[in-house]
Amino acid sequence: MKLSPILGFALVALTLACLPVLLPDGFYLGIATHALVFAILALSLDILIGQAGMTSLGHAVYLGLPAYAVAWLTVQAGWPPLPSVIVALLIGTLTAALFGLLALRASGLGFLMITLALGQVMWGVAYRWVALTGGDNGLRMPGRPVLLGIDLQAPLPFYAVVAVCLLAALICLWHLDRSAFGACLRGTRDQPRRMRMLGHDVWRIRYAGFVIAGFWGSVAGVLYCLDYQYVSPQALSLPQSAEALLMVVLGGAGTLAGPVVGAVIITAIKTVVSSYVDRWYSLLGLTFIVVVSLMPRGLVPGVRDLWERLRA
Amino acid sequence: MTAPALEIIGLHKQFGGLVATRNLSLRVMAGERRLLIGPNGAGKTTLFNQIAGDFLPNAGTIRLFGTDMTTLPTKARVRLGLGRTYQVLTLFPNDTLLHNVVLALLGTQGGGWSVWGGLSRSTGLHDQALVALTRVGLGHAANRRVAETSYGERRRLELAMALAQSPKVLLLDEPLAGLSAEERETVRLLLEGIPRDVTIILIEHDMDVALAFADRITLLNFGEVIVEGTRAEVIADPRTREVYLGH
Repeated sequence: MKLSPILGFALVALTLACLPVLLPDGFYLGIATHALVFAILALSLDILIGQAGMTSLGHAVYLGLPAYAVAWLTVQAGWPPLPSVIVALLIGTLTAALFGLLALRASGLGFLMITLALGQVMWGVAYRWVALTGGDNGLRMPGRPVLLGIDLQAPLPFYAVVAVCLLAALICLWHLDRSAFGACLRGTRDQPRRMRMLGHDVWRIRYAGFVIAGFWGSVAGVLYCLDYQYVSPQALSLPQSAEALLMVVLGGAGTLAGPVVGAVIITAIKTVVSSYVDRWYSLLGLTFIVVVSLMPRGLVPGVRDLWERLRA
Repeated sequence: MTAPALEIIGLHKQFGGLVATRNLSLRVMAGERRLLIGPNGAGKTTLFNQIAGDFLPNAGTIRLFGTDMTTLPTKARVRLGLGRTYQVLTLFPNDTLLHNVVLALLGTQGGGWSVWGGLSRSTGLHDQALVALTRVGLGHAANRRVAETSYGERRRLELAMALAQSPKVLLLDEPLAGLSAEERETVRLLLEGIPRDVTIILIEHDMDVALAFADRITLLNFGEVIVEGTRAEVIADPRTREVYLGH
């Protein structure tokens, strides 16, 4: 089954537009919004994992840091919402530009450990620098702001903004995937030494990928802050980074749909099931083990393979 | 007087206690076909790795057309006109042959930073890649994935990728290894067809093809140059017999 890309995006847009009508009330629309925010985060992480072949355990930095920035700038500094959002995106992306310099001194396990360490440093700062971050209590927003003339307080307009951002992320990453740069990024994943011998600057290609991932992670971070109207050190924590990684691996790294599917499933388990079952983390782990042992490459490639085998 | 295409002076490389390259000097003139021979472990591929910049020597100088590139990163050496094929194939197996050559073209021509306008619509690159594939007789297979091709076809793809970059100095690491007699003949004709403005340094164990192809031969053993000279000189030298051909 080969979808034309325009038809594919139209289908996604249609689904996103129909969702508010199909869901029973604002509570479920809120959960759908959470899921879409995390879908953007998972998509950004998949640039590193799926395209560049570099597994990061510190991607929560780009969720938590811009979230803190939005909350601090609007509440503590009293900035208007739009400049706060723009500066927060800038802070997140520049942090990626800085952390990329450090993390990309290594690849493989070394890269993983540096991203993990940088994530822990940021978590530690958020937890301990109480005067700036509120420590364990975090920072609370008084409500969602009016952004570009749209009042984001009600669930529906905010959902619409998040849905548009997700669609924009999907289109951009689809472009990236089929561009010359995307081809070079995958080249450095598969054969870094060969790419060097072909005249490519492997380090710079990876660095650019890292910064792009940081930017889209920051988009998710800003939306996260506006969504929950609250940010605490938990947004910067290792479990948060691991959860994003889980979303990518569960749905299928290196696909556009995979991270979105992974984010939706994990958010659903987290928010819906946790109201009925106490040990939802165990359930999450169990789901992960079952999926990965049956479909090692993740749900989306796994289902696609299954579909092709059934048709043949 | 023009500088040699490749000039190596006093190259030395040591891995712990193992000397891989020992005070090695080599001059290859522009347009020359130079064959490197020597028993397994003589340091032939290690020498290629140092010329390509995979790792730096402990001492010595490497010049390409007079430019000192001893400490330059690999990508700068490629820009100076260095090309290489590998002994162990390092292709992109899940992509098409055409895509592999396009990646090679992006490496030397730039354009790898383009984020907009899909790669598949870049007809200029694709036309050039197709020319390179046709040159090695793979034009008809351009849209097949590497994983679906035979070993011999992959060897020829290696050559197409190297030639697409229009190198001035080409390092070929055992281009005939593992090929059938028929495929050897195909690759031999391809090598013969490379114009003389490309200097070629070749590692090869197939003496029938390699001896006929080479202008000059260098025999290495334990990282040292043992004998160097024309085909006749090297074959006649008793040390060649001792180290390599004899027994």
